[in-house]
Amino acid sequence: MTSAQHTRTRTAPAIAVPAWAWALALLALFALYLVAQDDGAVLASAGDLAHEFFHDARHSLGMPCH
Amino acid sequence: MATAVEDRAETAPRFAPLLGRFALAGVVAGAASGLWALVVTERAIAPALALEEARGSGHDHGHEELVSRSTQLVGGFLGTVFAAVVFSVVVAAVYAAVRHRLPGRTDAGRAAVLAAIGFGVFALLPAVKMPANPPAVGDPGTVGTRTAIYIAVLGAGVVTALLVSAMVGTLRARGLHPSAVAAAGVLATVALVAATVLLVPDNPDAIGADVPAAVVWDFRLASLGQLAVLWTTLGLTAGYLVDRLARRG
Repeated sequence: MTSAQHTRTRTAPAIAVPAWAWALALLALFALYLVAQDDGAVLASAGDLAHEFFHDARHSLGMPCH
Repeated sequence: MATAVEDRAETAPRFAPLLGRFALAGVVAGAASGLWALVVTERAIAPALALEEARGSGHDHGHEELVSRSTQLVGGFLGTVFAAVVFSVVVAAVYAAVRHRLPGRTDAGRAAVLAAIGFGVFALLPAVKMPANPPAVGDPGTVGTRTAIYIAVLGAGVVTALLVSAMVGTLRARGLHPSAVAAAGVLATVALVAATVLLVPDNPDAIGADVPAAVVWDFRLASLGQLAVLWTTLGLTAGYLVDRLARRG
């Protein structure tokens, strides 16, 4: 086995992560915060409904609730 | 058959198809842990809700009629799926960024390692510092404080993972014996987790005298099991799918 082959099996090549991927990840986390944490401070009355709808998921995923 | 040789060489998948594989794995992980939620966690929630009813007024949520119980079961399932997909999108970006530094010779191995770290940061560390509480436990007045503590614990977990992996990488690059690197990594992790547990403020809520310990602990274990199913399924499924993607080139 040549050293080039050796290196290739040991370290995987890096992947370029586009900027939009990080933006999407942040957006997804913010959306999760809205449905999971928010008591209607951001979503106003629609938040109440979402809060009640996701009530059990919030508890079971270990997130603070009421 | 020149392509057959190339197939065996490891190539880096592009990000977009990688994200698709992770998102699909997120849906699968969400469905698996959502089923756990319906079959196991809901059974642990039921006695807590009965306690709330027995108290009469309950808390603000007590005005049940906004969303019925059966709708809340659907929400429990869908909320779990949603959380799993969110985790999968975040993990996909992190995985792509650190793939070449993760231990393991295949994407299946590397994805399993990253999912294990994710479980440690987003499930195990919060479970140690601030275990999940069922309905009937929790003071509405402290929810802001508890949310801040929860986010601080997650932040400390992310910092711990970054510092320990940076340290392990540096020590390994210096040619230290693998067992010494492993020992140093374990010690650093224990020290940082201990610092988190000791320095971050405790959950301010008292558990009411009318709430049996079994109700609280059945729920906490069910919740931890649900998160374990989520992260295990996410890591194994994403690993399998990305492995196939990388082999295909």
